[in-house]
Amino acid sequence: MVKYIFQRIIYMVITLFIIATATFFLMKLLPGSPFNDLGGKMTEAQEQLLMEKYGLDEPVPVQYAKYMAGMVQGDLGVSFQYDNRNVTDIILTRLGPSAHLGAQALIIGSILGIILGMTAAIRHNTWWDYTSNVLAVIGISIPSFVFAGLLQYYFAVQWRLFPVSFWEGPIYTVLPTIALMIFPMAICARFMRSEMLEVLGSDYIELARAKGVSNNTIMFKHALRNAVIPVITVLGPMTVSLMTGTLVIEQIFAVPGIGEQFVRSINTNDYPVIMGTSMLFSVMFIVIILIVDLLYGLIDPRIRITGGKD
Amino acid sequence: MRHNKWLLLVVAIFLGLVLAACSSGSDSTEAEDEEKILNIAERSDIPTMDPIMTEDNVSTQWIDTVYEGLYRQAPGGEIVSGIAKMEETEVSEDGLTYTFHLREDAEWENGDPVTAQDFVYGWQRANNPDNGSFYGNYLMSGKIKHSEEIFAGEMEPEELGVSAQDDHTFVVELETPIAYFDSYVTNANFLPAHQEFVEEQGDDFSLSPDNIMSNGPFTMTEWNTEEGWTVEKNESYWDAENVALDGISVKVIKDADTRLSNYDVGELDRVLLSGSQVSDNQTSPDYHSLTESSIFWLKMNQESVENSEYMQNENFRKALAKAFDKQSYVDVNYGNDSVPVDFFVPANFAEHPETGEDFQTGSDVLSYDVEAAQEYWATAKEELDFDEITLTFLSKDDDVAKNISEFMKTELETNLEGLTIEANNVPWSRQLELMRDKEYDLAVSGWGPDYIDPISFVDLWITDGENNDVGYSSEEYDEIVESVKGELANDPVARFEAMREAEEIALEDAVISPIMQRKTSVLFKGNVKGLDQFNPYGNNYSYKYVDIE
Repeated sequence: MVKYIFQRIIYMVITLFIIATATFFLMKLLPGSPFNDLGGKMTEAQEQLLMEKYGLDEPVPVQYAKYMAGMVQGDLGVSFQYDNRNVTDIILTRLGPSAHLGAQALIIGSILGIILGMTAAIRHNTWWDYTSNVLAVIGISIPSFVFAGLLQYYFAVQWRLFPVSFWEGPIYTVLPTIALMIFPMAICARFMRSEMLEVLGSDYIELARAKGVSNNTIMFKHALRNAVIPVITVLGPMTVSLMTGTLVIEQIFAVPGIGEQFVRSINTNDYPVIMGTSMLFSVMFIVIILIVDLLYGLIDPRIRITGGKD
Repeated sequence: MRHNKWLLLVVAIFLGLVLAACSSGSDSTEAEDEEKILNIAERSDIPTMDPIMTEDNVSTQWIDTVYEGLYRQAPGGEIVSGIAKMEETEVSEDGLTYTFHLREDAEWENGDPVTAQDFVYGWQRANNPDNGSFYGNYLMSGKIKHSEEIFAGEMEPEELGVSAQDDHTFVVELETPIAYFDSYVTNANFLPAHQEFVEEQGDDFSLSPDNIMSNGPFTMTEWNTEEGWTVEKNESYWDAENVALDGISVKVIKDADTRLSNYDVGELDRVLLSGSQVSDNQTSPDYHSLTESSIFWLKMNQESVENSEYMQNENFRKALAKAFDKQSYVDVNYGNDSVPVDFFVPANFAEHPETGEDFQTGSDVLSYDVEAAQEYWATAKEELDFDEITLTFLSKDDDVAKNISEFMKTELETNLEGLTIEANNVPWSRQLELMRDKEYDLAVSGWGPDYIDPISFVDLWITDGENNDVGYSSEEYDEIVESVKGELANDPVARFEAMREAEEIALEDAVISPIMQRKTSVLFKGNVKGLDQFNPYGNNYSYKYVDIE
């Protein structure tokens, strides 16, 4: 196990290195420079002066070497769009709200989804099942920003139950969390239902029933544990996308999250921030994949994790 | 039934959380009744609070709010005394030396007096190439003595033509007389800086309220990245008795509908309208349409890589310039009150130095007129010997820009027979590159001034000018502009007339085709005073003069 994890970490570092290299060179292919948001007032000589100041006049491989050397020491550089602001600080302050919302949406959404899916499977072909199915289909097919708009309009503008937007306390997270959790909830419900149906029809559940095991033990110890594996597989990547923020939801609820930052840094050619956010997303993704792999083994001991050829 | 209990439990926990949150959120409104706090939203966070690094509206606005330079803009663009007493300013006969007398009661936030040395340091800082100020270079080069040489690295920043005669006398030497010096000098790059504080802060300068030392009507008290910021009245400001607001609370809201919703529920006192929000709210008593000094025009590139021989023909350009309906352009693409125009120096912008008459008296040389356009087109066809031609229309790739491409394509193709428009929608940064490389035929672009003077616009079209990317060149025009910038600088009336003449020549030559002078639609509450007009340049509002009744 330790050997396996160690090996995986080595692979992770190599993967990150490749991603960083590819991102760096691809990013340099973007048209324009970081200094073109001035209504076209800048002359070439002035731009040259700024390029020199930020070391952008050097050959790309040299810039790359310098950046990588800095990154290894934890220095991600300073932003161009926010003058002199440290990229690490930008990422850390903006990751907070996104991660907070994402975690809330993920936990509530997946728990509700699992309950919904289980209920549907246990009460197969009853109105429980149909309602849960309809909810799941709606949740999957309607994009979250539509929910966000509706929630905002009714709950905030019409009925004034919640604030329209901003990020000032727990109550401000309610509407965006609901808008964000609909999708994971629907996905979990769908997967849970179909897996649960399959598991409930299997021989070992029959056997457990025959042995007189209580219904609760069957459901939570035998059925749920087996049915939850595919749910965890989809939840892994979803965790990353939820925690790293959603551009539209963040804009609608004026949440100072990181989803919007990533898009804007690309639009403004803010190279250090593009690199910083890309690396953040990559690290989170790779770590989540590792965690998911380890979770498989914990939940279902039949899935063995071993290192190397044995 | 067990599962129902589970569900109930989850719902109960969720509701509990919500209620707990509700009760904690409601205690902040009590104290606000007596204080005059203006609540507004901005479309983006402040990119920088460092005066010399500002390049955008939001930074410019808030730097103006917490700092004060020699002079300041009052609502509507009137220039009034700031740290310098305007009525005491002395100008040498040749217009090359300005002596400013600073008021003695002006203080920094920490109680230190604002001195002439602070101005010397602030200006040198803006002019130091190591600091990378774009506007410092743009505004000072060739104007403030030795600025250009310092930016080129040939001289030291300390050699800039500014000096402190004593603590309260600041002297500026110019390379050339600047007729619009009063408005020019309100730019953030000309603010004073507290040397000891700036050097102590180093790279952290201006990154948070603690790293800012203000000397203006307000001080920044809170600033949360991408969330918003708060400024409070600065009691040590020399003119504090004339600052009506106790503070301003600003929230960053990027989504237009969210902004409007917040206005509707009373969270905001003012909101900018965009898109269909304009027509939806036009009948509201809170609705106002504010004139800007930005003009938008159709560029017709005479140095086009592919079609320069056509684009250089005057009849060809006039046909294009007169063949599209400017009013429909505004209606279709913006749906607001922007004004279709046939000139490129804005109206309500500059005044005759003696009579106070508006610079802009209108022109119909390039007005919308399909018949005239078709006549020019027929002549051009004869002169250039062509039946059909394809021109590219370069534009950004956002929704408005795409609508504009569609609109221009339809109008021009319908009215000019044999013309095909190929729309090229690219990201803004790419558009700038293509325009710089002259790889386009047509494009829409705009210009906003940096000081109150028609030269800000007239200077654009001089031969090989830095911003002349339409390839226009006219000896007559160049001569007039040269004289405006040179020998006429100390003769305001002749200078004013010369600039009018220059604009006329350029329009006759169809240098560009003017489209519209932009207006911005806003809603603001009836009890808010002083937000009813935009300043003609720089910071949009002067919050020093805003009041809530």
